[in-house]
Amino acid sequence: MKMIKENNIKLIFLSLSLLLIILIFFFPFFWIITSSFKSPEEIIATSTTIIPRSFTLEHYNKILFNSDFFIYLKNSLIVSFSSMITSIILSVSAAYGLHKLKFYGNKFVEYSLLVTYAFPGVILLVPIYLLFAKVNLLNSYFALIIVNVLFATPFAVWMLKAFFKLIPNEIEEAAYIDGASRYIVISRIIVPLAAPGIASVSIFCFIISWTEYLFASILISGDNLKTLPVGLAGIVGQYQIDWGFLLSGAVLASLPVILLFVFIGKYFVSGLTEGAVK
Amino acid sequence: MKKNNIEGWLFVSPLIIWISLVILVPIYIAFELSLFNVKIIGTSGKFVGIDNYIKLLGKSKFLNASLNSLYWIIGNAICQTFFAFTIALTINYKFPGKKIMANWIILSFIIPTVVVVVIWKLMLSSSSGVINSVLIDIGLLDEATGFFSSPNKAFISLVLINSWRWSPFLALIILSGLNSINREMYDASKVDGANFIQQFFFITFPNLKSVLFVLGLVGTLLSFNIFDIIWLITKGGPSSATTTLPLLIYETAFTKFRISQAATLSIITSFLLLLFSIIFIKSMAPNEDD
Repeated sequence: MKMIKENNIKLIFLSLSLLLIILIFFFPFFWIITSSFKSPEEIIATSTTIIPRSFTLEHYNKILFNSDFFIYLKNSLIVSFSSMITSIILSVSAAYGLHKLKFYGNKFVEYSLLVTYAFPGVILLVPIYLLFAKVNLLNSYFALIIVNVLFATPFAVWMLKAFFKLIPNEIEEAAYIDGASRYIVISRIIVPLAAPGIASVSIFCFIISWTEYLFASILISGDNLKTLPVGLAGIVGQYQIDWGFLLSGAVLASLPVILLFVFIGKYFVSGLTEGAVK
Repeated sequence: MKKNNIEGWLFVSPLIIWISLVILVPIYIAFELSLFNVKIIGTSGKFVGIDNYIKLLGKSKFLNASLNSLYWIIGNAICQTFFAFTIALTINYKFPGKKIMANWIILSFIIPTVVVVVIWKLMLSSSSGVINSVLIDIGLLDEATGFFSSPNKAFISLVLINSWRWSPFLALIILSGLNSINREMYDASKVDGANFIQQFFFITFPNLKSVLFVLGLVGTLLSFNIFDIIWLITKGGPSSATTTLPLLIYETAFTKFRISQAATLSIITSFLLLLFSIIFIKSMAPNEDD
């Protein structure tokens, strides 16, 4: 009797929280995607309807063929891919050193990496701007890559920890006994075994770079080098917002990360959830 | 396992060098700037020693922004803990569609912040926002309200928007902690007659220590650093109610062109965050046996 009652309470809790989660975390996406196909009058109408009454492609037409969208897209892709690849090389190497080799001071390095989250952000903005101005790095992809790697790698190393710990030391030791070099062990054993971890870290680094706004808005001033978030923010800041234009831009700017997520997103989620933080 | 000092450092050093260069050199530059009186970028100013620090600490703007940052961190911590635990505990149950939800709940985290801003500016718009019309339809509001028009409403709205972005990501990290808890403990407690609320407080929560440590540390620092969501929605207003320290630094440097003051603010802020981190790690770091 008591069991049944408890199960009922659980069921009510579960349904309620599911409903809440869907309403809060999924409905907004439904809303902006459908709105981006509505006529300008319907978007700003005071009475809102859940099911759209109009359908138009005019906003997408405008953003694809009558704006700098493709320039921004190209810049975002170049910056994000370069940042991602650099971050992976640096963080896999560091995670290997930290969690497979163990050295004097490794706990200090591990915690310091987490604390580096204290310094990124706006605190570094002014001095980095001045530094990059001195060494002529302003208005270059490289400026953004340097900063994105800084934002992505500390957490990437932490995420890789769980995956590296799952690889038994015996496999490595057996390889050494057979005469394998460090290079062979890393490229043939460690990297393949940690592949799901590396996949999830890649997505994380890509997302961090893809969504970065602050530094991209300050370090880049040339229109031909701007990234998508900066381009979009330009429309948000206008006094008279063209909502249809803005919404279709927002949907298109999210599309690449969403597509990436469709293909390798499950590695990211399982990398975060099943990597057992032990 | 035996220690491997030289090789260990060798593998870590590329990242350490990269991070140190991009953090320490700018911090040094900021420190130098804070001792001078530089206004516009590229010009030089005269040496003023610790004048900037003394002036700044007495300014009401600084005090206001510090308090806002404190409220911001606390507000976000409360909201995000609530949302993240609700999501994590829900997804931890079996139900149809669980896999899809676990994969896509993180949607709000993978889209650019600017898109987050667009979504909520539209949904919370005072003239045509869907939230306003729903609230009016169900009788909670008499007429459309401006969610960013008064100091308190703007602050709370921003905390909720930021939590919306971050909670799913945090939920997945909590979920990783939940997955590492031994199932047998729940079965054993059931035999002893524990209900699921007791299970949460006596098994789930204590076993999440190492995950919660990382979330507490990184989450606080990440919350503190939030800039773009606030800047793009309210620009720090109305009447500085949403100006946190990051916004104050940005404003001082790039709209008021007081570079030395901005640098001084950066140094003070770095110091405060470093102090917080050290205290947090010293007092909360879980003992790991490895």
